[in-house]
Amino acid sequence: MAADPTRRRVLAASALMLTAAGTAGCASGQAWPWARPPVPVPEVGMLRNVIAAEDTLVSTYTAVLSARPALAATVSPLLRQHQQHLAQLRDRLMVPAGARPSPTKTARARQAPVPAGRAAVLAYLRHAETDQAAFLVHTLAAVVTPSLAQLMASISASEAAHAALLDSAGSPR
Amino acid sequence: MTTAGRRARPGKAAGNAALQDALAAENAAIFGYGVAGAYLTGRQRATATAYWNEHRSARDTLSGLLRARGEQPAPAAASYKLPFGVHTAAEAASLAIFLENGVTAAYLGLVGVGDAGLRTFGARAMQAAAIRATSWRGSTVAFPGMPTARPSPPRAR
Repeated sequence: MAADPTRRRVLAASALMLTAAGTAGCASGQAWPWARPPVPVPEVGMLRNVIAAEDTLVSTYTAVLSARPALAATVSPLLRQHQQHLAQLRDRLMVPAGARPSPTKTARARQAPVPAGRAAVLAYLRHAETDQAAFLVHTLAAVVTPSLAQLMASISASEAAHAALLDSAGSPR
Repeated sequence: MTTAGRRARPGKAAGNAALQDALAAENAAIFGYGVAGAYLTGRQRATATAYWNEHRSARDTLSGLLRARGEQPAPAAASYKLPFGVHTAAEAASLAIFLENGVTAAYLGLVGVGDAGLRTFGARAMQAAAIRATSWRGSTVAFPGMPTARPSPPRAR
């Protein structure tokens, strides 16, 4: 994963981590009890992938919301929770000194168009949630930092619940 | 929960302790759903029964995992103190949410141990509990099982 130059940059950055970690909680305006320790070097690449996937999900929701404003009551609360997921994941990422914090462009480029019809949109979101929940469970098995694994499991549980909610919103009452 | 303390223990003991925590939460849920079911009717009662069975099945799985690790599963208590009075269907639904939150938090401890198998098992169980809580609550939360970022008292639909 980490080529030597990256590794060196990360190690160079580690001296700054203590100070950065001390202020990270205040930056977002809210102290979260579990969001403190920065991830170790081997997990940076993994965490970037998870962040990119979560960012794609936020983009998907944003696109749905702008294409189908009538679904706001169902979709907006879920989007807000994904934004919270993304913020927490980003909080755990210590960007190596000199690196550009950027990986989201490719993720956005892959985005599929929003399907037509309420049921189709809800199914589209449900699939996106299910995929992301499964991806997180698959990925967290190899995570070294226990608190990061727990954050990912919690996000995965939230997304599995989103899928269930979208499923019941899509079925006739 | 006692996750932080448990994390410091060596691998197998930490896994066993987290499994016992999850088992205790499942036993409390089995008891609690028995109470909740008595105040529910129709579709809600059917849901409570189905979820009660899921918790019994999870209890059996956890007991099996503990025995396979040479550890005796701790027995259930004869009864459990309810967090609030339950006399109506709405309170029964609130109790169900409370129980699922407890189960989710317990499995979060399992995710915190180093064993990849237990971790995946715990994460899947968290998903199941979050889905059940959502069906009672009618809405989702951002961080199921996490130490309360915002203390939201369980509410019935």
